[in-house]
Amino acid sequence: MLTWLIAAPALAALVVAFLPKDRKELYLPVGILLSFVPLAVAGVVFFEFQGGEAAFQFAERVAWYQPWGIEWNVGIDGISLGMIVLTTILFPISLAASTAINHRVKEFVVSVLFLEAGLIGTFLALDLFLFFVFFEAILIPMYFIIGIWGSERRIYAAVKFFIYTAFGSALMFAGIIALAFLHAEQTGAPSFAYQDLLGLDLGVVDERLLFAAFGLAFAIKVPMFPLHTWLPDAHVEAPTAGSVLLAGVMLKLGTYGLLRFNLGLFPEASVDAVPIMATLAVIGIVYGAVVAIVQPDLKKLVAYSSVSHLGFIVLGTFALTSAGLQGAVIQNVNHGLTTGALFLLVGMIYERRHTKNIADFGGLWKVMPIYSGMFLFAAFASIGLPGLNGFVGEFLVLVGTYASLPGFAIVAASGVVLAAIYMLWAYERVFTGIPDKPENQALSDMSGREIAIMVPLVALILVLGMYPQVLLEKTEASTEAVLDRIEAVTDYEVPAPGRLTDLYIAGGDG
Amino acid sequence: MIFAQVLVMPDVSWLAIAPEIALGLGAAIVLLVEVQFLPPIKRLGGLVAAILAVAFGFSLWQWFRVDDLLSSTDNAEFIAGFLPFGQMVVLDHASVLARLALLLVAALGIGAGWQLFERLGRRGAEALALVLLATSGFMLMASSVHLMMMFLGLEVGSIALYVLAGITRGRATSDEAAIKYFLLGSVASAIFVYGVALVFAGTGELSLLGARSFLSGTVVTRPAVLLIGLAMLVVGLAFKISAAPFHSWAPDVYQGAPAGIVGYMAAAAKIGGFAALIRVLHTGFPSMLDEWAPLIAGIATLSMVLGGIFALVQDDVRRLLAYSGVAHAGFILTGMVGGGVGAPDVWFYLAVYTIQLVGAFGVVSVIAGGTAGPTPIASFAGLGKRQPMLAVSFAILLLGMAGIPLTSGFVAKFGVFQTAWQAGFEWLVVVAVLASVVGFAFYLRVIVAMYMQDGDGTSPEPASPSRTVIALTATATIVLGLLPAPLLDLAANAIPL
Repeated sequence: MLTWLIAAPALAALVVAFLPKDRKELYLPVGILLSFVPLAVAGVVFFEFQGGEAAFQFAERVAWYQPWGIEWNVGIDGISLGMIVLTTILFPISLAASTAINHRVKEFVVSVLFLEAGLIGTFLALDLFLFFVFFEAILIPMYFIIGIWGSERRIYAAVKFFIYTAFGSALMFAGIIALAFLHAEQTGAPSFAYQDLLGLDLGVVDERLLFAAFGLAFAIKVPMFPLHTWLPDAHVEAPTAGSVLLAGVMLKLGTYGLLRFNLGLFPEASVDAVPIMATLAVIGIVYGAVVAIVQPDLKKLVAYSSVSHLGFIVLGTFALTSAGLQGAVIQNVNHGLTTGALFLLVGMIYERRHTKNIADFGGLWKVMPIYSGMFLFAAFASIGLPGLNGFVGEFLVLVGTYASLPGFAIVAASGVVLAAIYMLWAYERVFTGIPDKPENQALSDMSGREIAIMVPLVALILVLGMYPQVLLEKTEASTEAVLDRIEAVTDYEVPAPGRLTDLYIAGGDG
Repeated sequence: MIFAQVLVMPDVSWLAIAPEIALGLGAAIVLLVEVQFLPPIKRLGGLVAAILAVAFGFSLWQWFRVDDLLSSTDNAEFIAGFLPFGQMVVLDHASVLARLALLLVAALGIGAGWQLFERLGRRGAEALALVLLATSGFMLMASSVHLMMMFLGLEVGSIALYVLAGITRGRATSDEAAIKYFLLGSVASAIFVYGVALVFAGTGELSLLGARSFLSGTVVTRPAVLLIGLAMLVVGLAFKISAAPFHSWAPDVYQGAPAGIVGYMAAAAKIGGFAALIRVLHTGFPSMLDEWAPLIAGIATLSMVLGGIFALVQDDVRRLLAYSGVAHAGFILTGMVGGGVGAPDVWFYLAVYTIQLVGAFGVVSVIAGGTAGPTPIASFAGLGKRQPMLAVSFAILLLGMAGIPLTSGFVAKFGVFQTAWQAGFEWLVVVAVLASVVGFAFYLRVIVAMYMQDGDGTSPEPASPSRTVIALTATATIVLGLLPAPLLDLAANAIPL
């Protein structure tokens, strides 16, 4: 099942690649249509997934090259489930939002579909070698997406993106090799399987070095302050679909990796690293928000808001409490939905006006009421208005953090206030007032296609805001298992109200 | 006649060098046919393909013969079959694998640069014969366990390559490349020979097996002479594989020599050089691993760092590939620091890299029109639009060389890294992974040019053999990246004696 989930987009990419040259109009529709296949498979996986179980489900393990201990080892648990669903939802949407791509459409669709295969593979891979293969391979399609279909400074942004992230993962690669040989030393045979590596006895020094090697790779991906400088460039230059997928899914590889591998494989070092990680996360939250306030460019504003929101996810992860982890997992999905929606909306206005400068707009709600409404909705979701999804995630993170790191939680809460400032101020400048600029007076409102693209996102934002249990009940067992393991192998104990067993925190309404 | 004898009466000794004999005779036949019948170059190409196929067949036969020998219980038969010709050469899986790789590279190299052979006119036959001779020389080098034999092979191969570098007579750049290659190559050969002499002085043996048994039975109290000799052998061979700091010839030769042949030249010299290096170090001096492993690690570090940094600032694709070749030499050397256990990984890397190298130079040769002359990165601008298939293949080959996952290059890099890690050279692996990132940067520059910049230039259509080779090598890069197990299993046999 999971193998097919990875293979489906790759096969779709091949189908599109072999479409005849003279049927250019087919590329995008066929790509969109085929991208529903992984969505359908993911839907089946989601509904068949057993909520109460912490173990990996739908697992498949086949040797890839026996002597090196490399396996095709995939499986899904509560931590990756949400990401898979998010990924498969965002891809058809991003493709459907790419009608403005008018040159080399075939290559574009092929790149996007390969990117989907790689991303799904990264979330499902349980063999570290396999994980790294996917983790690194997705750089190529994204590199092309930014570099070929981006705006003016696209080449600079693409290369910066590629080198930055490749540099980050280089040391992780050395770390992966080290893990396999530690396994060989302790059991006789090398193994890259996550399940096997959990049993390793690492020793303090090795564990800290490995934590640092993995942590650096993921911190660049997230990106955490001060490693975030590639992000604004990549986002601003990328085409709309690229930004949506970058913010919606690719950044989550960082937070997912920290949760899955750093917390999972290096519990002792994770506990020791809490002060550092939490400090960087909080700096990211405040810094990202403050910088977002002063951005003159709408897309850059959303990009910096991502730095801030992802800070929350990292903070929740390293709060090491039930609510914090739950919040991190669900906020991964939430941020993908809301930021995806925001980038799509920015892309729509850019297609009309060919500018993203906040100063070029004003009074749009008179000319584009539907668009303005959608934007307000997405902005509220991003700010964390109760009843919408952003609230659930950030609230859980803050509650969870308060239990273990109260000081950090208090500072981080300012991020929510700052989010309201940058979002609403930008909204005021773009949408309110009278449309005094002549270019803005004749803008057409959202088309049926554009509304259709936004509807699924809006619906999910509402569903996860009103009834987050849909997802939380499936993730709970896995996040609890992470904490159980940390408490079992280290001296660390989650402070009193931090575990679900201490106090049940109902998700949605707090 | 000799063919027939070998075929009817499989004399073990002759079989051990049958591929070399086939190539040597083949070279003579090519030249004679050329003089006698003045056939069109296409016919000669067919003839050369047949000769290579015969040699390939012999090599396959050798492979199975080695299997037989290894399962044989008769000790005398084993020795006679394994170390024929008075223990001058060895018939083991490693040597056969080297032959297979060299033959493959020769076939692919001729195909990739086919335009050059067509342009050379009547002298195309000479070039073809030289390729055959060079191949036989490097084969001999890879299968020798005797230092004199090794030197002989080295010279046969190298001299043929010097001539090939200058085959487009009259072009100043080509002449310059040939002279440079010849002069520096001769110095390297001289150093090698001096090393042979010092090793002889230190051990009283020219045979590598003799040296090994001498060292295992004797405590060398004053090893200075031996160590210097060994280091000189390494330096001489490091020149052939263009490892830093003995790489200064490579960029000029890669740039000056006719584009159609550079891929083959670089690949064959690398295979022969590495085969000999493993043979010398592992077969001859396994007991001195602790002495030579740091030397190899040092050369590897220098190669990866210098190769990577210099490749970053090149504007000519050929020079870029030359410096990247220096870096690759470093990566491959990384796999040798653990001694013989790393040989399979070294072989896998060599096979994968040389295939990519030949394919990549096939593309360069198409752009350069088969001859010498500059090939600036700018001349690749817009290739993605003009010739999508060529550009996709080149991109795959470059990504493969960069070692991006899902290409064979990644598996190869992983192989040598894990060997080095296992051998306790963790620091070298860390240097190597960081050097790989530098590699991404310069390979990407070419891809940027092809796909993200608009070019106004035109580029010639590839000849059909070139197109086939380029497509084949690109496909192999992907297939071996997804399913490396068969080739890895094959290479796993290739631990030299």
